[in-house]
Amino acid sequence: MIGLVDGNNFFVSCERVFNRRLVGRPVAVLSNNDGCCVSRSNEFKALGIPMGTPYFQLKDREASGELSFCSSNYELYGDMSRRIISILRDEAVDVEQYSIDEAFIYPPTTAASDYAAYGRRLRAKILRWVGIPCGVGFAPTKTLAKLANHIAKKRPDGVFLMPDDPTEILASLPTNEVWGVGRRLPVKLRAERIITAQHLRDAPDDTIRAVGGVTLLRTAMELRGIPCCDEKDYDATPDTVSCSRSFGTPATTLAAIEESIASFAAQAATKLRRHGLLAAGCNIYAQVFAAGGGGDFVDRTVVFPVPTDATNEMLRAFRPEIPALFTPGLRYRKTGVIFFGLEKPGSPQQLDLFTPDSHSPFPVPRSPSSLYKAVDALNARYGKGKVFSAAEGIGPRPWQMKRAKLSKRPTTRWDELLTVR
Amino acid sequence: MGTKAKVSGSVVAGFPSPAEQYLEPPLDLNELLVRRPAATYFVRVQGDSMVGAGISDGDLLVVDRSLRPADGDVIIASVDGDFTVKTLRLGNGERGTGNGERGMGNGKDVEVRLEPANPNYPVITLKRDQELDYFGKVTACIHRFVGKK
Repeated sequence: MIGLVDGNNFFVSCERVFNRRLVGRPVAVLSNNDGCCVSRSNEFKALGIPMGTPYFQLKDREASGELSFCSSNYELYGDMSRRIISILRDEAVDVEQYSIDEAFIYPPTTAASDYAAYGRRLRAKILRWVGIPCGVGFAPTKTLAKLANHIAKKRPDGVFLMPDDPTEILASLPTNEVWGVGRRLPVKLRAERIITAQHLRDAPDDTIRAVGGVTLLRTAMELRGIPCCDEKDYDATPDTVSCSRSFGTPATTLAAIEESIASFAAQAATKLRRHGLLAAGCNIYAQVFAAGGGGDFVDRTVVFPVPTDATNEMLRAFRPEIPALFTPGLRYRKTGVIFFGLEKPGSPQQLDLFTPDSHSPFPVPRSPSSLYKAVDALNARYGKGKVFSAAEGIGPRPWQMKRAKLSKRPTTRWDELLTVR
Repeated sequence: MGTKAKVSGSVVAGFPSPAEQYLEPPLDLNELLVRRPAATYFVRVQGDSMVGAGISDGDLLVVDRSLRPADGDVIIASVDGDFTVKTLRLGNGERGTGNGERGMGNGKDVEVRLEPANPNYPVITLKRDQELDYFGKVTACIHRFVGKK
């Protein structure tokens, strides 16, 4: 049996733990740069305002006091998520975190006699310890557990165990509600008269394969109760590690482009080191504002002299390329960095006689940077961004993410603790 | 939370250390003060409403959300949207059962009061239909003499 635990309106629920004035009110958390609604309270949903509604369209209703908004406080959400995962690890045999607010769990054998009771206990514990209401769904496969979770959230006790014969439930769900089916496939499926999840489950394998390949067939198998989702697919070594942001205000200077790319590279490199990986090279890019959205996209690919995880070596390699991304007079909306060719230190390597920084006839061995190990430790201890490269800029960062309505970070910063009177 | 120092028991050369087999991990305040990291939160005291209970302005409180509130406990609760630290008093000395999912239901017979430890502050009495918005129980108070922020 597999369970899926998922925080209800997770970002809003996190905000409400530390701001009780938001309880019972229509509240939404905004995306990066306070762009649009990404998490909505039930009261907000009840007003019929869809996910993704741009914030500027709702500003009047905020001013009148009808709606409340928060900027994304990822420091807080990340910590609350960590707490939930640690409770799940105590209560389940195995936990696979799927996203910031979702995890698959493998219940202990002691839960088998009554999964619903186990789910209710788990839910009550998370609510009491962390303050986040969750939905808990159980089923024999991940795809069915996802559907069970969907149903659980609509029930007052927040828990649902998929019945042995889920035919009736599957018949009531359109295919687009099935995990992994997406938005495009249902159109093609409709042509094959596959409308509901039950149709998809019962369709001939050849038909399914013809429409959506082996991936969709795997989904159908999962609906039949046969587990086909590889375990921990999603925490395998990533193919790329990246960091990019849209700017709070458009960037118009070369310095802003240089500093933003250096800063995103530093953030992505921290991620790289956390995975214990070295990168062979990177792709740096910038996107220009254009009327009607979209806009020109310019990029450069840089291969590092030796695979590395050291921010300074990366900067040395790609900084000379940045001016090529910049045209004076244009307004830039976004820059980013993607690292590719990721490998573990000590993997077999192609030595290069002409590696520029090898003063000896043998290139330096590729190993994690001890300098940046120290930098990461300092930033972990004294707060993100305390130690940084001068290339990231020392003045104000107009290109930085706009978070005008950011709440405090009461679980990760000593100077932002909750105050009590 | 917090990292524990690792103690290595290996000796490179020379005479074995007489202390080697007695080596223990150093004392760790997290171990003492934080029983359940996933349920523990730190909050900062503002004001002197609890000064009689040994809780002063600027102190750091260790709060455990997993513990159910009982009569006489020092707790953190929200009153009209603001967080407060007070002693919980349940009328007629009855014990709180904390049966609600969040906070506790204010039963028909139990009067819920939040009592300051300073005569200059009023006692907060919850209305009959008002539910206690419980955040957590205060398990320790950290009062610093040096290096206050």
